[in-house]
Amino acid sequence: MQLTSSFKLVFLKQMLRGFLLSDASSNSMSFHERKNAIKLSADAAIAFARGRTRWSQGLITNLSKNEKNKEILKSLLGREYDNLRKPCGNSLKIPRSKKILRRCLRMCSRRKKAGRAQHICKSILAKALAKKRIQVLKKLVPGGESMDGFSLLDETLDYAMSLKAQVDVMRRLLKTSKASLNIKQMKAWGQGGLDFTAGGHL
Amino acid sequence: MEPPRSSGVGIDNSGEYSPEIAETLRFEEEIQSLIHPSSFDGSAAPTGGGSFTALLGLPANQAVELLHDSGAREPLASRIRVGGHPVHRPFHLPLDCSSAFPSNATLVDRAARFSVFAAEGSPASSSGRLKAEPQDSDSPPLDPIPTGPAKRKDTGRSKCDVRLSLSFKSQAKATAKKSKNAEENTDGDKLPYVHVRARRGQATDNHSLAERARREKINVRMKLLQELVPGCSKITGTALVLDEIINHVQTLQRQVEFLSMRLAAVNPRIDFSSLDSYLSAECGPVTVRNGPGGVVVDPSLWPTDATAEATRRLLVPQFWHIDLVPPQLQPQQSLTTWERDGAAHSQLLPNPTTSLFLYDPANSGNANVPHLTAKLKTAEDRALNL
Repeated sequence: MQLTSSFKLVFLKQMLRGFLLSDASSNSMSFHERKNAIKLSADAAIAFARGRTRWSQGLITNLSKNEKNKEILKSLLGREYDNLRKPCGNSLKIPRSKKILRRCLRMCSRRKKAGRAQHICKSILAKALAKKRIQVLKKLVPGGESMDGFSLLDETLDYAMSLKAQVDVMRRLLKTSKASLNIKQMKAWGQGGLDFTAGGHL
Repeated sequence: MEPPRSSGVGIDNSGEYSPEIAETLRFEEEIQSLIHPSSFDGSAAPTGGGSFTALLGLPANQAVELLHDSGAREPLASRIRVGGHPVHRPFHLPLDCSSAFPSNATLVDRAARFSVFAAEGSPASSSGRLKAEPQDSDSPPLDPIPTGPAKRKDTGRSKCDVRLSLSFKSQAKATAKKSKNAEENTDGDKLPYVHVRARRGQATDNHSLAERARREKINVRMKLLQELVPGCSKITGTALVLDEIINHVQTLQRQVEFLSMRLAAVNPRIDFSSLDSYLSAECGPVTVRNGPGGVVVDPSLWPTDATAEATRRLLVPQFWHIDLVPPQLQPQQSLTTWERDGAAHSQLLPNPTTSLFLYDPANSGNANVPHLTAKLKTAEDRALNL
């Protein structure tokens, strides 16, 4: 389906490009900065690899709010940057006044409770619960506030799969980089103490 | 029935109405797919933004509007005849007696309107994927449940007509079921028409129909999400499933954070700088590998492999070939480090190690190699010094 290897490859490639661009491998940054740079590259890469979806656009919009990241994002994403940034974002927040909503719900429930069976109240309760959770989900999914219930669920699905792919690739990258380090270590030690003292300090 | 037919023909004659013709063509495509359900696979469906999501984002009132269009009913076949496809004749009879179709003009008008709606650029892959998923997940339970899923599938199919059987004729239902079964394996065009079928004995007023349409939509999506999230399929109830989904998404996000932290810890040791030349070449490692030695590594290997791991695995022996012949050092070094990175499988790791060690003594006799190994060593020292 979506988690094809080509998708993961595109993601990996973009992420590594991002590492280069943000100079994540240099020593000049602090640990925290480096982590942020890596995360930025990873997020931008996954959004790029996915193409134009609501959540990827929302993600890029959120990332570009930080001015520093804009440059990196621009050079990383190239042409896609404008495409991904253009629409929605949180500007399309559907304005809902809580008071009005509460009043509506109360009135509806009162009206329905007046002459109806028990199960209607339960359904209202269930709806309220679901609504709460949908709100939480909206905060989780990037760009979620401007989506309605249906598209939110779609985007969640999409987003969850992309996150899975992201985690998978990053984990593998981590594993292999650690392994390659081990190899270097072994090489260094294998070649005797000279290398070790000279430069093989790990 | 003559006037509607003539109107159908009339539309065909009026060449300037491009949305109508487009719609007719799409309609024909879809009809063809109905006839040849097996030949259709999910990826073949046209995209153009009229995706599953756009489709199901159709607001309820418009769906209801569609339902209530009681213009001149025109049988399906006549419109097909407009397109001149005699093969659609067999469908003439069943569809004729089953449902009511809105007139051509109004339909086409709506199609034009909704094409804007649908052209909002949902990605092809998402529509393809989502189409595939309903097919997989929905087709088993669909058969026992007669009417509700028909709507669900139909929305995914995006037929051009709204089939509203307000009259509960068993024949209508039978034919509808037949056509629904035929459609099950197909993916129609992406026109955002909502099919709603009223169940026997259920209320058929606007409100409840719209409600039902909404509920069906939500149920489809919840099902998909349930399949995605592990361990969620046994849970019943929307709120609990949503809980699980939220949990899952939060977990994944935290994992990404954590992994990026760990990568940050590991990262400075890895010399990524020399990967630039490699990465800038799109899928053509040729530019990097064709050094003075002219080692030919199959560039098509990289993108076309089945899995990323397989690709990397294949690359490993290739790279060790390159070791023998010295291209420019930077790409060389980058390739070796990259390759070690790429050896995703832990099983592979002993191999690179051994081969590296093997090559060193083996190459000692070679004139090129001392140069090479010296450079390798300095590069490694540089990397280690970081």
